[in-house]
Amino acid sequence: MAGSASTGESSRETRTVAIDAEVLAGKRFAYQEDMSLVEDIDLLAATPGQDINWLEDITLLEEDGVPAVFDRYSNSFLKIYFDIPPGREDEIARKVLIRHLTDGNSYGITLKDIHCKFPQVELGPWVEDSPIVGTDWKRPVLEGWTAPAGH
Amino acid sequence: MPGSGSRSGVSYDARGLVEPHAEMPDNIEVDGHRGRFDAADLTIRQINMALRQLIYNDGITDVTVLNPSSKHSLAVGILKRCRIHFEGSPGWFACGLIDGPEVTINGRVGWSVAENMMSGVVTIERGAGSLTGAAIRGGDLIVKGDAGARTGIDQKGGTIIVTGDVGINTGFMMQRGRQIICGNAGMNLGDSMYDGSIYVAGKVRSLGVDCVPGEWDDADTELIERKFRIHGLGDPPEFQKFVCGKQLHNYDALEPSERKLVIH
Repeated sequence: MAGSASTGESSRETRTVAIDAEVLAGKRFAYQEDMSLVEDIDLLAATPGQDINWLEDITLLEEDGVPAVFDRYSNSFLKIYFDIPPGREDEIARKVLIRHLTDGNSYGITLKDIHCKFPQVELGPWVEDSPIVGTDWKRPVLEGWTAPAGH
Repeated sequence: MPGSGSRSGVSYDARGLVEPHAEMPDNIEVDGHRGRFDAADLTIRQINMALRQLIYNDGITDVTVLNPSSKHSLAVGILKRCRIHFEGSPGWFACGLIDGPEVTINGRVGWSVAENMMSGVVTIERGAGSLTGAAIRGGDLIVKGDAGARTGIDQKGGTIIVTGDVGINTGFMMQRGRQIICGNAGMNLGDSMYDGSIYVAGKVRSLGVDCVPGEWDDADTELIERKFRIHGLGDPPEFQKFVCGKQLHNYDALEPSERKLVIH
């Protein structure tokens, strides 16, 4: 997940943390390579209101020279490896992102079950009847640690 | 949710949050997928507990809250598709941090309505205070009246529509998204904005640093007509578009690095 490189100008090490969705997940997903797996996604049904709502701000970007869509729920880029038909760049980027989120593959979603302090839907607002997580959060306890006197 | 500690007679839960009156209200009416309750005599905590219980646990998709009575921080952090109606006026920070709800407010709101909204639709039938839509990231926020200073400050996405006037420093440090202002704009419109578009139909008192008139194209017409149509706002007036002049920030140096987390 993290690589190291010398800055060349300083003795301090600079470490760049990857923001690639498949690096965070540890694997590549089939819908990154096969457009047929996202073609049927209904963007209007997946978003609130009468248009595509928040997806208006989602466009096809590029990361490491590869077409990619940004997943704001995990602060990572989801690369797209299939050829995107001209004129459909943003539409396909949005469909790949929605498939990624509704399948629960966004890294931010996988963290919810462990770290949520407040009840919330695990898969976000895109999935009806998503499980609720965060209902039983307990303060983590560091084994062997005792509070200093006076605390 | 029982308290797990007590200091000075006040109960705290395991997260360290104070929980006064943490009992669920007993005046909730449920009819199928609809819920309704009167918030006049409830605490903020109770109102938000009731909303979460209905929406998250009881499968209610349409909730009406009567008499919000200008209480602050109502319907904050609701992360599910649903409909919420406020019959009356909430106070500050209403509907902050939401992701998915479609909210109608049959009244006015105080500061920072829909702050940090991720997605959804918030429609306010009357005016809104300062910081309307501060830092919103997505969704539509419609104010059918005037909005105060710093409307859409630090906006990172989404669309803010104000049918009346907006105050000073509207669009300050805007980074993305769209503002559609049907009335006049106060001083320093779009000051230090980084990206995004601001459409103004009325007069602009003054432009902020690096905010300049933009070139109108077909996408602007499509956006304006679509938003007016789906929100029932009638025929749109003539707008002038304003964008970032891109002279203030060092784009060539910033663009690649802002997307990476670099630890020194």
